[in-house]
Amino acid sequence: MDNVARAQLQDNVVAAKKRKREKEKLSRTWPLHLMLLPAAIVTFIFAYMPMGGLVMAFQDFKPYDGIFGSKFVGLKHFEFMFQYPDSKEVIWNTLVISSLKIVFGLIVPFVFAILLNEVRKMAFKRTIQTLVYLPHFISWVILGAILTDMLSSKGIVNSTLNSLGIQSIPWLADGNWFRFTVVVSDIWQNFGFNTIVFLASLAGVNPALYEAAEVDGANRWKQTLHITVPAMIPIAVVVGTLSLGNILNGGFDQIFNLYNTLVYDKGDIIDTFVYRTAILNGQYSFGTAVGLFKSAIGLVLIVISYRMAYKFAGYRIF
Amino acid sequence: MKRWLSILLIISLAGVLAACAGGNNGGTTSNSNSSNTSNSGNKQNEGSTNTAESSNFVDGKYQEPITLTTVWGINENGSVFKEGESIEDNVHTRLIKERLGIDIKYNWVVTNTNDAYKTKLRLMLSSGEKMPDVVTYRGDLETVNMLIDSGQFMPVDELVEKYANDTYKEGLALDPAIWLPITRDGQKMALPILDYAYNDDHVMWIRQDWLDKLKLQAPTTIEELEAVMDAFVNQDPDGNNKKDTIGLATGFKNGYNTWMTDIGFVFGAYGTMPGQWNLTEDGKLENGSINPNAKTALAKLKEWMEKGYISEDSALYDENAGSELFTKGEAGIIFGRNWLPAWPFPDLLANVPDAKYKAYPIPAGPDGKIGSAGGNPPVNGYIFVNKDSKNPEAILHYYNWFFDNLANPQPGSEFENGFAEGYDYALLPDGTVTTDAAAHPDLFPGLKGQIAPALYYTLTYEGARIPSLYGETHLKLANGEEPVTPYEKTEFNSRTKENIEAMKVVVEQKDIRMKNYYMGPLTETMQDKNELLNKLVNETYSKIIYGQQPLDSFDTMVENWFKSGGEQITNEVNEWYENAK
Repeated sequence: MDNVARAQLQDNVVAAKKRKREKEKLSRTWPLHLMLLPAAIVTFIFAYMPMGGLVMAFQDFKPYDGIFGSKFVGLKHFEFMFQYPDSKEVIWNTLVISSLKIVFGLIVPFVFAILLNEVRKMAFKRTIQTLVYLPHFISWVILGAILTDMLSSKGIVNSTLNSLGIQSIPWLADGNWFRFTVVVSDIWQNFGFNTIVFLASLAGVNPALYEAAEVDGANRWKQTLHITVPAMIPIAVVVGTLSLGNILNGGFDQIFNLYNTLVYDKGDIIDTFVYRTAILNGQYSFGTAVGLFKSAIGLVLIVISYRMAYKFAGYRIF
Repeated sequence: MKRWLSILLIISLAGVLAACAGGNNGGTTSNSNSSNTSNSGNKQNEGSTNTAESSNFVDGKYQEPITLTTVWGINENGSVFKEGESIEDNVHTRLIKERLGIDIKYNWVVTNTNDAYKTKLRLMLSSGEKMPDVVTYRGDLETVNMLIDSGQFMPVDELVEKYANDTYKEGLALDPAIWLPITRDGQKMALPILDYAYNDDHVMWIRQDWLDKLKLQAPTTIEELEAVMDAFVNQDPDGNNKKDTIGLATGFKNGYNTWMTDIGFVFGAYGTMPGQWNLTEDGKLENGSINPNAKTALAKLKEWMEKGYISEDSALYDENAGSELFTKGEAGIIFGRNWLPAWPFPDLLANVPDAKYKAYPIPAGPDGKIGSAGGNPPVNGYIFVNKDSKNPEAILHYYNWFFDNLANPQPGSEFENGFAEGYDYALLPDGTVTTDAAAHPDLFPGLKGQIAPALYYTLTYEGARIPSLYGETHLKLANGEEPVTPYEKTEFNSRTKENIEAMKVVVEQKDIRMKNYYMGPLTETMQDKNELLNKLVNETYSKIIYGQQPLDSFDTMVENWFKSGGEQITNEVNEWYENAK
C-alpha cells in the first residue's frame, strides 16, 4: 500500500513537472505561436471555409438556386468525367507535360547550382542568381504574348534559324514541338527559384569536408561528386516530393496563353479543358468534381512520396 | 506533439489543394435561399387590372399622375449624378413626371458591378418575390428566359399594336427575328430595346495605296481576290525589295466566324457559315460548321496558306493579334467592321505613315454567292411588363416619348443640344455648345468637372435609338450631303471619311448577311457537349488548313459530330425554332 501510494505520488510529481515544463516552454515561445496565427487564420478562411463548396460536385449547381437549393445528383459528374471521350487524352497530356516539367525542373537547377557554386567571383555569382530568378515574376499573360511573337513563323527565333540555313520550326503550331516549347519555357521561367534553394543547401556544407578531401588528394570533380552532390540530395528529394503533389497541374496560365486549336491533341490539359467545358458553359458542378478529383490524387501522391522520401533519403519535413 | 503537428500540416496542405480546386469555380457559396423557385402561386386576386387605364392619358400625359415601379442597376456610363441627385430623383425622373405624368419609383437600386443587378434579379425570382411594373434587363439569355418563365410578365403583342408609335414599330419591323428569343407559344413576352443596326457587319478593308501602286482593281470575287493577294505576296507592294508581305490578315484561334480578321466570307462564298445556325432551304436550322460546302472553303484556305496568302501563324492569333498583321503593314487586306478606322487602324498609320485604306464590298464566290456573318436583329436588352401592372402601357408611352423627342432631335427643337443644360451639355456665352465639363466647371454646377449623362439614366438605357439611323446617316454623309441634324453633325465630326464610306458599303450590301438563327439559351445537350463539338470542329478545321490532316478528315469529323451529340442538339435547336418562329 505504501508502495502503491509512493508510486502514485511519484507519477503525479512527474506529470506535474512535465506540465510545468510545457508551460514554461509555451511562456517562452508564445511570440512564435502568435506569429503563426495570421497564417493559420488565412488558411482557415481561404482554404477551409470554401471547402463547404465541394458539395457542389455532388449537385446540379445553379447559381440562382445556391448551394442549399440545388438538386443532389450523386456521382453523376464523376461518371461524366470518366465517360467524356476526351478525358483520357487530356489526363495523359497533363501527366506527360507535368512529369517532364518536374524531372527537368529538378535536373536543370541542380546542375546549374553546382556550376554556379564553383564560380569564385561573388558579384558575378549573385548577379546571375538574381537574373535567372527574374522571369519567375513575369505573368504568363505577358510572357505568352512575347513568346507567341518570338516563336511565330517570322519571329526572331525562326528568322535566326533561317539565316543559319535551318528550316522554320512550328514551335506552337505542332503538337510535339508545342510540348517541347511548354516544358522549356516553364523551366526557363522557374529554375531560378530552385537554384536558390539548392545554393542555400550548399552554403551549409562544412568547408572542412572539402579541405579534408583535398588533403586526401581528391580533385575538383571528385569533390563535387562525393561532397557537393550528396549534400544536395536531401533537399532535392524535398523539392521533388513537394512538386509531385502538382502532377495533375500542367500549368493553366502557361498553356492557356500559348495553346491553340492545332495542338489540342497534345497540349490540352485538365485545367484548360475544365475551363472550356465547365466555366465557359456554366457547368460549375462538373468543374468542382474535377477539382475534387485532382485534389484527392494530389493528396495521395504527397503522402506516398513523403513516405518514400523518409524511407529512402531519411528526410522528414515534420 | 511532433506527430500531431505533422498531421495538422498534411491536412492544411490538402486544404490548400482543395481550396485551389474550389477557387477554380469562382465558388460563391453565399447564395443562400432556401425557398424553391416556383412562382406560379402568386397570381393576384384583383380582377380590375386592364380596364380603365387609357382614359387618363390625354394629350401625351397622364392627367392624374400614375406610379411606375421598377428596379435598377446603375451602370458605369450612367453613374455620375449632380450633387443632391440620385437615380431616384434627378433631372430625368422630374422631367418624365412633368411631361408624361409618370412617377418612376425604384423598389431597389444596386450599382451594377460584377453582375450585381442580375444576381439581385435572380434572387428575387428564386424567392418568388413580386415583380415591379417593369423590369429592364440587358445581358445573358438565361436570365431573360428565367424572367419569362417566372410567369409574372404579360405578352406584349397587344400593347405594341395599340400603343407603340410608328418609329418604334418600324424599328421592330426591320427584322422579325427580333422576337425569336422572347416568343413563347406564339406570344411575344417582352419589349425589345432597340439599338443601331448594321454596326457589327463586316466589310473588306484593303490597302488602297498598295492597289494603286500595283495598278490593281479592288476584287469583287474570290478569284479576283486571289489575284490581288498573289500580287500582294509576290510583287513587293511595300517597295522594300523584300518578300515580306502577305495577302490577308487572319486570326482564327477563336473560331472561323469572328468579329475581326474574319474569314467567314470564304465559307459564305460557298453558301455556309461556320460557328452558327443557318436557315436551310427546307426551313430547318443547320449548324454551318458541318455543311458540306465548308469542305470546299477549307480546301481554298489550305491552298491560300500553302501559297503564303495568309499567315502561317493564323491559328495562333486571336482577332487582336491577327489585326496586327494589317496594322504593322504586313498584310494588305482585313475583313472587319465599319469602325475599324477608329481602332485599330491608327496603329497602321503610326507604323506606315503614308498608308491608305478603303472599304469594299464582300467578294462573291464562283457561283455568285456572297455571305458574311451579321445582320443580327438590332436589339440590346428587353423590357418586361408585369401582368398585374395597373398601367402596362405606361412604359410604351415613355419609350415613345424618347423616340419622338430624343432619338433624332431636329435642329431648333428642345433637345437639340442634349438632354438637359448643365447636365450633359452647356452653352458658352457665345452660344456654342460644350460638353467639356472639366474646362467649364462653372457651367456644370455641382458636378466636379464631369458631365452627368442624364440620357443614360433612362429605363431604356440610352433613351431611344432608331436602328436604321446610324446606317442611313452614314449613307447620306457618304453621298456628300451636308450634316443637318445634331446627330448627323456629331457623326460627321467624330468619324473618319473612310468610316462613313465603309458604312455605306455595309448598308448597300445588307442583304448578304447570314444571321445566326438560334437565339435561345444553351440547350441541355449543348451544356454537356458544346465544348466537345467545338473542339472537334476547330481542331479539324485548323489541321486541314495547316495540312496536318487530309481534307477528307472533314467527312469523318461530320460523322463524329453527329454521333457525339450534334444530332441531338440539331433536334433541340429545331424544336426551339418551331416554337419560336
